Amino acid sequence: MAVLLQITYQKKLGLPNFSSHSCSVSVQVEVADLSHVAEENSRLYKLLQASVDEEIQKVGFMPDATSYGMKDGHEQQQRNGSAGGDDWQCTDKQKGLILRIVEENNLDKNYVEDLAKELFGHGVKSLNRLSASGLIDELFDRFPRKDKGNGQRGKYQRREQSRR
Amino acid sequence: MNAGDDSPRSIADLISTVSASRLTTFQQCRLKFYFRYVLGLQRPKTSALHVGGAVHETLKYWNKARWRNESATLKQLHDAYLGAWGEAAASNGEVEEQKTGWRLLETYFRESPIKPDEKPEAVEVSVEADLAKHGLPKLVGIIDLVRPPGIIVDFKTSGQTPVPEKVAHQTDTQTSAYGVLYRECTGKKETSIELHHLVKLKNPKLVVTALEPATDLQKTRLFKIIESYVNGLNRSDFIPSPGLQCASCEFFSECRAWS
Repeated sequence: MAVLLQITYQKKLGLPNFSSHSCSVSVQVEVADLSHVAEENSRLYKLLQASVDEEIQKVGFMPDATSYGMKDGHEQQQRNGSAGGDDWQCTDKQKGLILRIVEENNLDKNYVEDLAKELFGHGVKSLNRLSASGLIDELFDRFPRKDKGNGQRGKYQRREQSRR
Repeated sequence: MNAGDDSPRSIADLISTVSASRLTTFQQCRLKFYFRYVLGLQRPKTSALHVGGAVHETLKYWNKARWRNESATLKQLHDAYLGAWGEAAASNGEVEEQKTGWRLLETYFRESPIKPDEKPEAVEVSVEADLAKHGLPKLVGIIDLVRPPGIIVDFKTSGQTPVPEKVAHQTDTQTSAYGVLYRECTGKKETSIELHHLVKLKNPKLVVTALEPATDLQKTRLFKIIESYVNGLNRSDFIPSPGLQCASCEFFSECRAWS
């Protein structure tokens, strides 16, 4: 009685930057009877493993971890509402905080715009997240919050500073 | 120290964001992490920490002045230092410690590689990186200083002269985190990472260690450490790590009683 023997060999290996790739090969053969299964299985296993091992050494495309997905990521964040929108380069949270300081202190928007240009050489909307964070700190220094101590930033900052 | 800073925090809260200091504590000793962050046990600041804090505040004042296109005189810096020191000198009789801190700063201002007219890109800036696309929590941190062009600087006070090869390894988690944070917030790669060690010797000295930008390998290691942190907290894996570092641990007696 003929016996159908099906075998799959699969290997998954990790790659830098939390990437991975895998290779899987399957074959189906017919053996004369059950007494040949073990021998045939051993032969096929070696064959498939050698085949997979040879192929999986070819890593193929590997993105530059410092830039890959950055543009897409920012665009995605804008769609998700994380980035500022309306041409703001900082996050929604940073944009909201800047606008809130302006509103709470009845500031002229031109004042904040001029301050950003003085400190960074750019207008508020074109500040990246690093610069926007610096601007927010400066605004808090100049216009301390009435409820200081309860603000998320102040709370976080003091916490970190106490952990040096 | 603000009382609210040390209040107990839930595991969910500690997993939602992660910082280099929390990761480093977790790496040092999980039980220490538990006492400090989960239980929020409070301990008086050691004199070394107090000196470090006042020195950091004064350096921030110095850097902020240049950032605002202003200059700070030595007297203004000294006043800033005394202000940062607070009442501790009078109440604890730590006059010598206070002098030590100021001598460190005098040495730094004299020997710093930073020119008096060099405008920083950022000073003591809060930054965060959303690592959700890697299945990891948000990474947050505060970078002491960013010098042009894109040089991340971290100030450290130390009792010993740092060995460059060792210090690169010892600060790996922190410097890798700063690299990730900087890139996320600027879209650019940092030029280098400088560690400015102010060494508390009889004759204080400044040691600047310039490290290369964080590599892909370092980034991968950082992500694996964050993954291990999350998994460890989810398992409530807070076992002690007895070793030489225990001699100066503020939770020594709690640790001995742990079972």
